[in-house]
Amino acid sequence: MSSPWAYWKQTTLIRSVIWKYRYSVLGGLGTLILVDVLEVLPPVLLKLAIDVVTGDRPVSHLDWIAGAYLLIAIIQGVCRYGWRILLIRSSLFAGRDLRDRFTGHLFKMSPRFFDQKRLGDLMSLSTNDTEAIRMALGPGLLVAADALFYFITVPIAMLMLSPQLTLLAFLPLPIIPWLVARNERLLHERFEKVQESFGKLSALAQETLTGIRVLKAFAAEPAQLDRFKVEGERYLGLNMALARVQNTFGPTLDFTMSLGLVILLWVGGREVIGGGETLGTFVAFQRYIQKMVWPMAAVGMAISYLQRAVVSAGRIEAVLEEAPEIQPQAEKNGSHTPLGEIEFRNLSFRYSADSDWVLRDFSLKIKAQSRVAFVGPIGSGKSTLLALVPRLYSPPRGSVFLDGRDILDWDIEELRSSIGHVGQELFLFSETVEQNLGWGVEAPLGVDQRNHLIEEVALGGDIQRLTDGWSTRLGERGVNLSGGQKQRLTIGRALARQPRILLLDDALSAVDTQTEARLLRSLRSRSPRATELISGHRISTVQDADWIVVMDQGRIVQQGQHGDLLTHKGSLYWMFNEQQKIEEELSLHVQGQERDQQNLRV
Amino acid sequence: MSRVKKETSKTSAFDSEFFGEEISSNSSSKEFRRLLGYLSRYRALFWGGVVLILMATAAALFEPRLFGYAIDEAVIPKDRDRLRQIALLFLGVELVRVVATIAQSLIFTLLGQRVMQDLRQEVLSHLQRLPISSFDRHPAGKLVTRVTNDIGSLAEMFSAGFVTILSNILTVVGIIVWLFWLDAGIAALSLAVFPILIAASVYFSGKLRIAYREARARLSAFNANLAENIMGMRVVQLFGREKRQLEKLSSINESYAQAQIGSVRVFAFFQPSITWATGISMAALIAYGGRKAMLPLPEGGVAPGVLVAFFAYVMTLFQPIREIADKWNLFLSGMASAERIFSILDWPVEMSDFSALKGNSGAIRGEIRFENVWFAYEGENWVLRDFSLEIRSGMRVGVVGHTGAGKSTLISLLLRFYEPQRGRILIDGKDLREWDRRELRSRMGMIQQDVFLFSGTIRENVSLFRPGVSLDEKGLAELPSRDQIYERGVNLSMGERQQIAFQRARALDPDIWILDEATSNVDSRTEAKISGELKQAGAGKTQFLVAHRLSTVRDCDWIVVLHHGELIEEGSHEDLVRAGGTYSRLVALQQLSVT
Repeated sequence: MSSPWAYWKQTTLIRSVIWKYRYSVLGGLGTLILVDVLEVLPPVLLKLAIDVVTGDRPVSHLDWIAGAYLLIAIIQGVCRYGWRILLIRSSLFAGRDLRDRFTGHLFKMSPRFFDQKRLGDLMSLSTNDTEAIRMALGPGLLVAADALFYFITVPIAMLMLSPQLTLLAFLPLPIIPWLVARNERLLHERFEKVQESFGKLSALAQETLTGIRVLKAFAAEPAQLDRFKVEGERYLGLNMALARVQNTFGPTLDFTMSLGLVILLWVGGREVIGGGETLGTFVAFQRYIQKMVWPMAAVGMAISYLQRAVVSAGRIEAVLEEAPEIQPQAEKNGSHTPLGEIEFRNLSFRYSADSDWVLRDFSLKIKAQSRVAFVGPIGSGKSTLLALVPRLYSPPRGSVFLDGRDILDWDIEELRSSIGHVGQELFLFSETVEQNLGWGVEAPLGVDQRNHLIEEVALGGDIQRLTDGWSTRLGERGVNLSGGQKQRLTIGRALARQPRILLLDDALSAVDTQTEARLLRSLRSRSPRATELISGHRISTVQDADWIVVMDQGRIVQQGQHGDLLTHKGSLYWMFNEQQKIEEELSLHVQGQERDQQNLRV
Repeated sequence: MSRVKKETSKTSAFDSEFFGEEISSNSSSKEFRRLLGYLSRYRALFWGGVVLILMATAAALFEPRLFGYAIDEAVIPKDRDRLRQIALLFLGVELVRVVATIAQSLIFTLLGQRVMQDLRQEVLSHLQRLPISSFDRHPAGKLVTRVTNDIGSLAEMFSAGFVTILSNILTVVGIIVWLFWLDAGIAALSLAVFPILIAASVYFSGKLRIAYREARARLSAFNANLAENIMGMRVVQLFGREKRQLEKLSSINESYAQAQIGSVRVFAFFQPSITWATGISMAALIAYGGRKAMLPLPEGGVAPGVLVAFFAYVMTLFQPIREIADKWNLFLSGMASAERIFSILDWPVEMSDFSALKGNSGAIRGEIRFENVWFAYEGENWVLRDFSLEIRSGMRVGVVGHTGAGKSTLISLLLRFYEPQRGRILIDGKDLREWDRRELRSRMGMIQQDVFLFSGTIRENVSLFRPGVSLDEKGLAELPSRDQIYERGVNLSMGERQQIAFQRARALDPDIWILDEATSNVDSRTEAKISGELKQAGAGKTQFLVAHRLSTVRDCDWIVVLHHGELIEEGSHEDLVRAGGTYSRLVALQQLSVT
């Protein structure tokens, strides 16, 4: 902030977004100059009028003066319309561009980036912070330019009327740069503190509400309320500290100018009495000095706009400078569709340098168009393994291969376009069922294609039962599908892309076993058939796989086919199988009871 | 005039562009009265501020007139002493004006901040008292906005909106009265455009409000779309749809910018209309007032100083009207916020049904009885069906069953987060509804599977920020030395989190221990450690354990097997094993296990 060079650098982003609209900005500034130049004339007209009144010129001069006044007002009105449209519109376009640029950057970032950022922060960056920059470019630039022109035009007019009075009236001026500089520094510091405290306050409220169960369970609400109160008081104090700077600045500038008026009254008045100046000049000076108040205040405003914009630009740049984890491949591999052979070679993976290993020395070769199932307790690394294939997270070099080529060497678009990945979080967009199903393909789905797809994922009946059928809206403001329906729809969405590799990460957990069997059968008869990597918690999900991999703590502890694995009595897989059997029996038991109850009611 | 404010409003409409909100109903007068209630706590401050506004406005009104006096009584009569006096008087008046302006603005800022702090506390305290089911319906994010942003815009209404509107109304009225007092004829002529100007202000303010509302609607569409994309970013990227999603977002962004431009256009029309009206007034003043000033006083003429004062007043008259129109939006947005805040305050809170029975403090025996409890979160989707269970004081009871069996729901009911639809739950032989909720909860120590952590130190997370909670220093010493826990505890391991949760419960020295899958995410070493500590700390206390791992409940006095909300087996470990039912088969399975 201190050196001009530093400031120049801090405003790089701000300058870069407006550059595209420079002509329109220049046009706006030109019109603004015209308004400001005309602004000098009314006091002169008043001077003339007063001189007519107190002098001996003909009365009819008053009509001319009045006419001129009106004319100037009309021209000024038109110009004011012009600059507002030109300047502010440019800033709005620049703001829009910046939002586009920022959101565009977000779309390039990998899950790791989003794991570390809060949604609220990203949202605030893309609207509030871009808006702060927009404000600096619109209203900020406007007041700055306006102030600057006033500083040029008004003093010139004053000098022309009376150099001596001008110098006298401007006597208190040198204090203003000092005032402005002090104000700039204090405002910046205190504004930051207020913002920071506001952030804490919001976070505290957020925590209180998301952790409400804990607070209630421990009857700890009052303590939390006290914390909130303490931070609230701090916030209040900081706001007042900010207000003490903000609210005194304007009046202090005013006062400085008023000192000029006092000097004008006293010394200028004596001049008029002594016959050195006319009364008209005296009156005109009163107007001019008052006019100088605005540019003085405008300097302060422009500074505060710029200040906020610089802070916001810093925040935005910090995100823009984070390079995407996946850089676009310099050369594409040609439109080569992978066969789908996958190999994990001594793969060890952890999410960050200080976290635990999630996968340890994991090696497995998967033949193209085969089905491999992964089972194991929560936290055994199944999801992570499946997330590495489409490079949601990037594995270390030399550990994951597709068709014998390191996954890192594949063009990301090519790679992902051949993969269907269905995760545990079933994200559907607030669009219709049909749009969600065809979400991953360019062209809208044909009726046949669509019907075939829902047949494959066994969703036909469900869709007919929805109120608006295919055009039922989903998502936040739409219908909420059941977990099983969501799972089948998201699988259908993945299948619509004819993937060569299908990754189902516990994606059938909420689907009943009969439907699951149907779905899994239909996958086998797809053409071309995909290499399927399926993880699950139910025997029914995995038993028909060509190869079953049992994982624990990131390692393979057992692998083979269902029958083989079961021969190892007491093994993890065997236990898993037995538990499921008991559960199935229990379910039958409960269903039986329900039937009994219903029969009783009937 | 308050000269800085006058000119700064050139841009203030752009400020309100974003913070403004439309008002949704005409019930604002009710909200306003309610707000005044908060204000009345600071009556002295408020009236002090109003007096200062009056002083500042009077001083500002007086200054141009002083200039006129200087001309008529000192400059024209060539009286140098009088000139000095008037100059000094001017300085004095200006000092009063500046000091009063600063003091007044600080007072109203303070007032706004105070009311905001009161409201924030009240809203959060109210939210804390809402039943848990309200939080299932309302996402925390939206509620937080109420506590922070909405209350913020209310404060702005107080500190900026109110002051501006009041001082400007005073200014306008003051000027008009004064002008008519100076010379009714000139005043009438130069104020002829005044009604037109007010009409224009009202008209454009209305149009502006509509334009701003449109812009805001599109901004929230942009926000909603962006949020959806960020949340679904994995899917977007996996499906390679970045480009298409961006295009859509970008088109919403464009429509937002266009809506903003629409409001600028309205504003751009508004501004010139004021310039023109001022021009007409001034021209009339010059032509007519100038002639009158040339007449000798006895023939109905006015002194030149009066004319000069007229110039100054008329030129500053229109600015306050603009400001009122501007700040009116701020006012409306404040009222809209008030409406939203008050609507939250009107949500019914969780109340003790028999609040008269409050104050049953001290230790409880810890007998729990579920009597034919039926519960569904919604409709007829029963999560618990006819569940009955009796737990004697000091008993250790384990509930097993797989995910979705209704185990955690039992705990929610026990803590009275929800009420059962049928049946009842008794503690120490008394219906749960007869207990004071918080009293009862403070006798129960719960350890959950997902340990919710607050940002703060580990010590604070254990004490949950309650002062004077006695902590187990030995237990604390074993926790990691990390001072600060980040948001949601990302820098702690599962085991460490469970340790914190355990210490948290222990700090209550509860009469009933509740463990909700407390050790299912931790390794067996940590599990052994926690259960060892629990044995010590919870000796002789009722313990209610929910788990899907059998080892966790094995040494309980009584074990309950839950399936789809129904109790299918119960008894001691030995009984159940002997009975040869589901439980015994599960146990046998585990014994066979080699891993």
